[in-house]
Amino acid sequence: MDPKYKVNRLQTTNEIRPLVDKHWADLRTAKERGELVAWASGPSFIFAYAMGMKCHFMAGYAAYCGGIGAGEEVLKVAEMAGDLPETCSYHRLHMGMGEAVARGIPINPQAILPMPDLMVAGRLCPEMSHYAEGLHRRFGVRVLPIDLPAVVDMEDMPRIREFVYRQFKEVVIPTFEEVCGKPFDYDRMSEILSVLKKVATLRNQCWEFFKDKPSRWTLWDYGVSIAPVFYLMGNPAGVTYYEKLLKELQERREKGIPAIAPDGEKYRLYWDGWLPWAFLGKFMRKFIPHGAVVLCGRYPWEFFPHPELIDPEHPVETWADLYYGMESHLVYTFSPKGTVDLIGKLIDDYSLDGLIMFSSKTCRVMNLAQPEVIDVLDKKYGIPGVIVEGDMIDSAMISDAQIETRLQALYEMIDSRRR
Amino acid sequence: MSKIAEVTSDPYAYVAGLKERKNKKIIGCFPMHVPEEIVHAADLIPVVIWRGNEPVTWGHAHVPPYDCGITRSFVDDAVRGKLSFMDGFVFHIRQCLQAGEFPFIMERHFKPAYQKVLYLPAIYPGDAVRDFALKELESFKTSLEDFTGEKISDDSLKKSIEIYNKNRSLMERVYEIRRAKPGILKAKEVMQIVWSSMLMPKEDHNELLTELVKGMEEKSVKAQKERIKVIPVGCLCQTLQFDILDLIEDLGMIVPDDDLYIGSRYFANPVNLNGNPLNALADRYLTKTPLCPTKGVWDIHWGDEAIKKMRDNDAKGIISVRVKYCPPHTCYYPDFRSKMAEKGVPEVMIEMEHEIISLEGVKTRLQSFAETIGGV
Ligand code: SF4
Ligand code: SF4
Repeated sequence: MDPKYKVNRLQTTNEIRPLVDKHWADLRTAKERGELVAWASGPSFIFAYAMGMKCHFMAGYAAYCGGIGAGEEVLKVAEMAGDLPETCSYHRLHMGMGEAVARGIPINPQAILPMPDLMVAGRLCPEMSHYAEGLHRRFGVRVLPIDLPAVVDMEDMPRIREFVYRQFKEVVIPTFEEVCGKPFDYDRMSEILSVLKKVATLRNQCWEFFKDKPSRWTLWDYGVSIAPVFYLMGNPAGVTYYEKLLKELQERREKGIPAIAPDGEKYRLYWDGWLPWAFLGKFMRKFIPHGAVVLCGRYPWEFFPHPELIDPEHPVETWADLYYGMESHLVYTFSPKGTVDLIGKLIDDYSLDGLIMFSSKTCRVMNLAQPEVIDVLDKKYGIPGVIVEGDMIDSAMISDAQIETRLQALYEMIDSRRR
Repeated sequence: MSKIAEVTSDPYAYVAGLKERKNKKIIGCFPMHVPEEIVHAADLIPVVIWRGNEPVTWGHAHVPPYDCGITRSFVDDAVRGKLSFMDGFVFHIRQCLQAGEFPFIMERHFKPAYQKVLYLPAIYPGDAVRDFALKELESFKTSLEDFTGEKISDDSLKKSIEIYNKNRSLMERVYEIRRAKPGILKAKEVMQIVWSSMLMPKEDHNELLTELVKGMEEKSVKAQKERIKVIPVGCLCQTLQFDILDLIEDLGMIVPDDDLYIGSRYFANPVNLNGNPLNALADRYLTKTPLCPTKGVWDIHWGDEAIKKMRDNDAKGIISVRVKYCPPHTCYYPDFRSKMAEKGVPEVMIEMEHEIISLEGVKTRLQSFAETIGGV
């Protein structure tokens, strides 16, 4: 291990926290202002935004909770209420928060949200259905469920796209109209998409700086910058944020400043699975002393929209096409086959040396095929990979020793192949 | 019963032999919602995939230990070549997360001659759901036609449905007789009967059942000391360890009915034979009861359903059997238990792992449950 490495922190990323805090604070206080509140899972919150509702987003809330260090206490409340630790931690977080509200159990006030007037449950993963059902059964939350299948074979895409689009038109939009008492605001949806297109275009330009050798920033920096392309969608502050970020990265390139001092990374790595929101610092401390940086990943890469596919003139069609169009692979990369295609491209584009497959013990969405994916890619690209077990939020599922051992093994495999 | 016990004691040998005897291809259908009738109508033999009895070995290299037992066991069987007699697989991948990753593993390690992914929808509001379910079934039918090179006519599909419906009604009859003559079959035997239906060609199983039902109707059962009736609930998609069923009975309880997939759920809801058969199969899939937590149904409560079943059978309690690492059941369970508490229904949950280490813990829980409801 070489002790010389240190992170060069980006200045711009300091500006994300106020934006994110404001989003959640606005949501917390929405009812006081007489606003309607929605909750969402899967990529479905845009419909609530279009109707002017404040909207929570399942994974965004989990990341926020993890980020503010409230995850553990909220999970404890869920456990007290009978939720079993095998249940995905995002699900448990919501149950815990709902229970805290219902029973008046004190938790970090920033982790508390108003219960929604409507929950739009996009069943991208079956667990998203289970958690919406649970919220309905326990707290009487009104749920608008839609099925959003992850697609295994591209040939299945057209009929699934049609199914999803019909649900948007025939179920989602009429329900929002009923709940909000007004016609659906297609114009607002178009505006949101216009802003998103700008943000995602800038974001893509920023991604180019991961290709630099040494890289100018890390996946963790992008992880904390993800909200503007996701649940801060439509907020022009996102454009300002990414303009600044792009400028800072350009400056870094001009001045030759790498993501880690003094000379940049020794290992360029891929990260599979969700980001470990509550443990970003912990993992960083395990990478940096070895000169390792993670640069890209399946979830943060492909799950967020391709700007070139956004057509604000046709908002609902665009939303269906972003996830289910033949040009877009967003839901396809949830399947192992799609994953292999995507990671193969990332290996080439970002000159990767190794793969870290993060396997969440409570979210089984990507786990089962990870050994296969490593095997296929190793054979094809000669890139080694390791599985690191853990969880995005629940520290009971994290073993420091195991993580250390696996990462060490990865570094050694990369070294031995370089010799 | 001896034939049934033989089939279920070594399903691998039985199904492999079946393929030879019938000279037909075997299609493994991953439980729980694949409409086997369509496979049957394609003149193939549909067999419901099962959880093996052996500890997982090679499978460890492919499946994490925090995936459910049938997932680990199935992948283990497949990579060890134990399923080489199967010609194809059908996976309804939207049932649970585990099922979603099989196709890739099978393609790499098994290379089946036929493989089909089904995306059956959750039972959500809107016409799109029904239309999509129907399209899924149409695409399933077409894929089988492509595989065999033969069209599946409506008539042959109807014929298959008839055979399946007959099987359903015969199994229903077995359950009725068991209710009327408690103790006529052990709980384990009833599970074997249902399981054998998943393994055997339905025509053969119908013959066996016809004989069995006749025997059961004729047989009189000696009046025994009244035992406390309990209803097992849960254990999605895989066989419950027989030892656990025996334990329940050894502790003085008796099972008059169940809410298990390898049980009453498998044969519930005959398919309506009037009209288009694919429509009828879609309707069966879209039926909300018996409630399956993989189908996204929440306007009725599983707890209420179970309590109704318990009361209809004059039973005194519910035994939840939860397979470890099965999210659909695990996520529902806290609300199921709350419902039991709210309605004052005695309920106990036992966890089932694939590799059973010791039955002692299960025994202690069941023993105190039996005492609570007055079974001992
Ligand atoms: S299981 Fe995973 S993908 Fe599904 S809701 Fe939970 S965290 Fe999200
Ligand atoms: S036991 Fe549960 S998680 Fe496992 S395959 Fe069956 S339904 Fe899915």
